[in-house]
Amino acid sequence: MLTLYHFVALGAILFCIGLYGAISKKNAVAVLMGIEIMLNAVNITMVGFSFFNTVKPYSTYLTGQIFAIFIITVAAAEAAVALAMIISIYRKRSTVDVGEIDMMRW
Amino acid sequence: MGLYYDSWLILFSPLFAFVVIVFGTRMWDLFSRPVKATAAQIEEAHEESDIHYMEKEGPHGEEETLEEDEDPQVPYLTMGAKVSGYVAIVIMALACLYSWMLLLNTTGVLSIAPPLPTAGVTIFSYNWFVQSGGLVSYIVAFHIDTLAIAMMTVVTSVSLLVYFYSQGYMQNSAGYARFYAYLTLFTFSMLDIVFAQNFLVIFIGWELVGLSSYLLIGFWINKAARPAEDRPSPATASIEAFIANRVGDVGFIIGIMILFANTGTFDFATLAGSGAHGVAHAFAGNLGLLTLAMILVFCGAIGKSAQFPLYVWLPSAMEGPTPVSALIHAATMVAAGVYMVARTYPLYLAAGPQALLFVAWIGAFTAIFAATVALTQYDLKRILAFSTISQLGYMFVGLGVGGSLYGPGPGMFHLFTHAFFKALLFLCAGSVLHAMHHALHRETQDMRYMGGLARFMPITAVTFLVATLAISGFPLFSGFYSKDSIIGLTFDRGDYGLYIVTLVTAGMTAFYMLRAYILTFAGKGGSFGGLWGGPYRGAAGVAGQPWGRLEGDQGVAHEQEPHESPPTMTIPLILLAIASIVAGYWFGFYGYIWPGAPALNLGDILTDWKTWVGVVVAFIGLGWAYYLYAVVGWAKVGQVVYNNPTLNFLHRVTLHRFYISELYALIIRYGVLGLSHVEAAFDTYVVDGIVNGVAAAVRGAGRDLRHVETGRVQSYMVGFFGGVALLAVLVFVLVTFVK
Repeated sequence: MLTLYHFVALGAILFCIGLYGAISKKNAVAVLMGIEIMLNAVNITMVGFSFFNTVKPYSTYLTGQIFAIFIITVAAAEAAVALAMIISIYRKRSTVDVGEIDMMRW
Repeated sequence: MGLYYDSWLILFSPLFAFVVIVFGTRMWDLFSRPVKATAAQIEEAHEESDIHYMEKEGPHGEEETLEEDEDPQVPYLTMGAKVSGYVAIVIMALACLYSWMLLLNTTGVLSIAPPLPTAGVTIFSYNWFVQSGGLVSYIVAFHIDTLAIAMMTVVTSVSLLVYFYSQGYMQNSAGYARFYAYLTLFTFSMLDIVFAQNFLVIFIGWELVGLSSYLLIGFWINKAARPAEDRPSPATASIEAFIANRVGDVGFIIGIMILFANTGTFDFATLAGSGAHGVAHAFAGNLGLLTLAMILVFCGAIGKSAQFPLYVWLPSAMEGPTPVSALIHAATMVAAGVYMVARTYPLYLAAGPQALLFVAWIGAFTAIFAATVALTQYDLKRILAFSTISQLGYMFVGLGVGGSLYGPGPGMFHLFTHAFFKALLFLCAGSVLHAMHHALHRETQDMRYMGGLARFMPITAVTFLVATLAISGFPLFSGFYSKDSIIGLTFDRGDYGLYIVTLVTAGMTAFYMLRAYILTFAGKGGSFGGLWGGPYRGAAGVAGQPWGRLEGDQGVAHEQEPHESPPTMTIPLILLAIASIVAGYWFGFYGYIWPGAPALNLGDILTDWKTWVGVVVAFIGLGWAYYLYAVVGWAKVGQVVYNNPTLNFLHRVTLHRFYISELYALIIRYGVLGLSHVEAAFDTYVVDGIVNGVAAAVRGAGRDLRHVETGRVQSYMVGFFGGVALLAVLVFVLVTFVK
């Protein structure tokens, strides 16, 4: 029997995996993938809450589910922008190593 | 009563004259001066400047000063300038007439108005502002009573004569109109003190007197200091006078504030009264504080009336024009301190005997100290300056020993008589200076260049002699009555210390005044046993003596004979000489200003042994001076003193006024300036250090902390999520353990 806890636990595990990937990977594409995982972890959590929460009356309006759809949309746009940036940086500097992309320091 | 209620006219008439001169006649004077100098004048100016140039460059020229620039002269006075003088004189004459009417009416000689109530009449009152919901009000009020009438008579009379005299003395001075404007302001300031009903108004007048004396002492702003004569420049002297008065005023204002904080009023009558605002009620059981307050108030008088620690400004104030010195010394400035103590006398009585004893001893010490200094001075005006300080000391002794019976009577009586003979002495000195300037073509105050002047200027000599006898306490002159009654009173009160000091001072006064007379107007070889005429020394100085001339004296090119001054100057002298004799015959003076005080009685005075002790002491002083300077001769006396090491040392010490000015200079240089160095260091290292330290700390922190900004997205992310995790833990802990 699936409960809310399964969803929340899955979301948390996925978020931590994504965070680890976003923080530790050197490749900018891998970092982007980590971020995508984190976004989807949040989506799972939201859908789970929306589905299982029967206390609050407004949960029947599917707020969490709609938010998940919004996030998927925004994530798609963000991924497109981020990939464009990565390609642009690669063209300029011949690398996508985020450790070397530090133009914004002091 | 209208006569009394309109007496504000006396107060405001000098102010009116001031306004008329400043905005009217002085403008007229300035605009009507010849715009373009004639060719002859330009050539003359060129010649003069060439001469000065040569003198400055010459081998002996380093002491030479530009005499013509020191007191800028105009070829002739314009009508505007003359009218300035006339306006001041006429207005002051009317004010003087009015105050004499008041005086004669209140003494009962005239009866044009009902008698003045004992408490006096408040002639003007204006509620300046009210504080604490009506609890404390600051009132500008003017009030006359017999004390004020006596004082205003002195002030207006002496002012009138000085104004009149200044026509001659300030002849062709470029600042003629300005001089009269300052004089009227000076008189107004003093009358403000005289009319004051409360401490607030008296303090305003007090500061105005300080301001106008500053303006007048520094009148010849271009004049340089004369180190050979130990004389400061007028600019320095005026600042010195202002600052010395400030020092006293600090005490004065603290004293006023103690009184005001405890009673809630400035009003003299209320303070002296027995009501809730009176000092008797407010300081009941705390008389020590009242004594302290009154001593602090007296500090103001110490500054203004040139008593011991703060007297140094008065000799320096001799740098002002001589009529100003007369005004300062007789009526307007130094009298303010005495008058203020007399005005607040009930408060001194309430404060107990210590406050008055303090006043008396400060006065006594100042009297003998200043008299000692005056013994050896060469400078005529400086002798008079120290004699004023000494006589003011007498006035404070008189105030100190007056007690509840005599009140301020003895002190004020001496102020009253002293005003006339001291004004006379100064105006005579001015006349002498005028003559000497004509003779030697330079400013000469040094008696070594005078001698035997009685032949040339008999009126000045006779009037000076009258004033000398009056100040010496010669029988039947005014000083005899006023001074000897103070000396006698000290004995009657059992203050034998004060008695000895004042008696010795009386002898010294007689000595130095007759010395000044003989050295100026007479000398060995003159008629009447050397008391009239005699050899005139002139530019040669005391011939054949190493001390006989100023150091660095280059002599005078074309010496002329001195001459008697014009009638504008001699008429005031004659009038003041008469006043110097008759002023002492107002025997009811004590009772006039302090109800219940006994009148002087000629029979009692002449049968009292103390009077004759005083007379004998005065005669010893006069006789010794006569013997030394008219019989033996100055040259010989000076030679003996010069060659005797002990006497020479004593002479040098008193001649340099006990080096008190030098001591003050040292204190200021090492004490005040040293302290200011410490303060400057505090400012540099502590105040600036804090400001600069904060800036340096911020800059250093920024320099070091900027390395946190790596520019790598991932490190920011660690920080961001680390922070979130920390907050989450915090929230968890708080929610779990802190309910």
